[in-house]
Amino acid sequence: MLLHHIPGLVTRPQAEWASIRAGQYSVGDCFFSYVFWLAAVPPLAGLLGTTLVGWRIAGGTPVKLTFDSAVQISIVYYVAILVAVFTIGKLIHWMGETYGALQPLGRCVALAAFTATPLFIVGFMQIYPVLWLNFIVGLPALAYTAYLLYTGVPIMMEIPLERGFLFSSSILAVGLVALVGLLAATAVLWGIGLGPSFTN
Amino acid sequence: MDTYNYRVVQQFAIMTIVWGVVGMLVGVFIAAQLAWPALNFDIPWLTFGRLRPLHTNAVVFAFGGSALFATSYYVVQRTCHARLFSDKLAAFTFWGWQVVIVSAAISLPLGYTTTKEYAELEWPIDVLLTVVWVVYAVVFFGTVARRKIRHIYVANWFFGGFILTVALLHVVNSLAMPVSFMKSYSVFAGVQDAMVQWWYGHNAVGFFLTAGFLGIMYYFIPKQANRPVYSYRLSVVHFWALIFTYIWAGPHHLHYTALPDWAQSVGMVFSLVLLAPSWGGMINGIMTLSGAWEKLRTDPILKFLIVSVSFYGMSTFEGPMMAIKTVNALSHYTDWTIGHVHSGALGWVGMISIGAMYYLIPRLCNREIYSVRLIEIHFWVATIGIVLYITAMWVSGVMQGLMWRAVNDDGTLTYSFVQSVQAMHPYYIVRLAGGLFYLTGMLIMAYNIARTVAGATVINAAIPAPAR
Repeated sequence: MLLHHIPGLVTRPQAEWASIRAGQYSVGDCFFSYVFWLAAVPPLAGLLGTTLVGWRIAGGTPVKLTFDSAVQISIVYYVAILVAVFTIGKLIHWMGETYGALQPLGRCVALAAFTATPLFIVGFMQIYPVLWLNFIVGLPALAYTAYLLYTGVPIMMEIPLERGFLFSSSILAVGLVALVGLLAATAVLWGIGLGPSFTN
Repeated sequence: MDTYNYRVVQQFAIMTIVWGVVGMLVGVFIAAQLAWPALNFDIPWLTFGRLRPLHTNAVVFAFGGSALFATSYYVVQRTCHARLFSDKLAAFTFWGWQVVIVSAAISLPLGYTTTKEYAELEWPIDVLLTVVWVVYAVVFFGTVARRKIRHIYVANWFFGGFILTVALLHVVNSLAMPVSFMKSYSVFAGVQDAMVQWWYGHNAVGFFLTAGFLGIMYYFIPKQANRPVYSYRLSVVHFWALIFTYIWAGPHHLHYTALPDWAQSVGMVFSLVLLAPSWGGMINGIMTLSGAWEKLRTDPILKFLIVSVSFYGMSTFEGPMMAIKTVNALSHYTDWTIGHVHSGALGWVGMISIGAMYYLIPRLCNREIYSVRLIEIHFWVATIGIVLYITAMWVSGVMQGLMWRAVNDDGTLTYSFVQSVQAMHPYYIVRLAGGLFYLTGMLIMAYNIARTVAGATVINAAIPAPAR
């Protein structure tokens, strides 16, 4: 398990990135010892939250999802996270050529996986699925994720700081584009009737 | 000795910052009104309905417009090795443009409006605007005609395309029958009026806020990075592709309305195609910058430029997505649209204008910028502001869309409209915070620039003698 890196990413990110680099993890290591476990946090919390706790919008009656519907969504959610981590790792690997930073795929995937750590952890809050609360808690987590990205890229990709800034910005832009793409895909799926079903 | 006309460039550059502060201040105020409606104090001219067009006109035409005048006058002279066609006419465009802006700032709060979005100004101001614009075209193309360099640099193609198309858009959309001083009726009616309005409205984005600012990108990014454009061929190809495609995309503002369905589909298809030329521009900008990484440590202006191009890429991806009918069914009329507009406006237009002004203003009076550190601070404050703004609008927009379409088993609506308004409150506060950050950045810039130009005079730069 690679979970022992988590405290270091919070307390001393730079040194921790160096020790992650020294670990020479493969893609398999990243997924079996880290991503498969941590990526389950948000979908599981969301499953419990949307079926057992529910949420109120504008003071109405609590809204909950049916169990079947929530399970389907959680599975899709989990798979989407796994695909996203691998895809971003792959993109880092591919874009590395432009920035003169050719590193093994495993290291690029590790960069993507460990960068996402704050988002995995804050996903726990979805057990209490009140949107504005998750948003307020999520913003600092998002900011820390960006910070981890900007500190991690120069160390993991072994390039100078300034080039790292450009590379990190490109990765962030790709991440934002992927986010908008997901948003649009969700709207299309919901639009053609594949939305969740609510209990009444 | 032949010299360039830097005076009019400097005037427009300074007003870019002044109007930027004013326009964003109004924006912050109306954002606060959306969170706390009592802030209109029951005074008619402080209401959201009158201040919102003031905000859009101030940031698009006063801030963005002044930036375009300043940069196009600078770029066309520098790349053609020629002084502006006429100093008098150039001065007329400056003072004429300021009169248009001040007239807008007075007439809009008083409630004079044509009700056409981004074209609210009443007919006498529209006529003045047309005159100023025609003179602008005369000065710009007159300068191109006097050029000493045979080749017309690609930035001038973008500026020229923007000037011609905006003239066409403004005149056609503003055609109206005056019934009295400050009151007129559009010559178009019904769905034709809507179609003409959004043909204008979307191309105000496509030409005023995109083609013109791509002109800025194609001059200031290579200059600041001190590298040639990554692919000149790509820049020419994506120019023609962009201007051909943009003009057809307007109907996506009218999905699921009385507009014929086929016209909506045409608008959607062209909006999707538009992704390709837009990303052509983004790739060219990013790749030009990518070789200049060793300069990033000392050069915060480059950071403004790279972030602006990144936001250009993001929002030109988001736009086509939102033009897809099924996505639009959810996103239209929600805050998602507001967020999308602002990722383009704050991220792309704002950041590239700011970067260009930091480049331009010290050079015009041959001074160093007062504080590089303040530019660095401005960069981070502005970036945080944009991120807060966009994320808040994504969440509230999707939530609004879902709440509006939620129905109970018996077909009744699950939520009343006011419940959706109530649910927006926290996001509107976050949006206000984002706007405040961005405005703070502009104030820092205003201070930095004021310290830079205080007591300085605009230089008389010599036009290089032609190489023989």
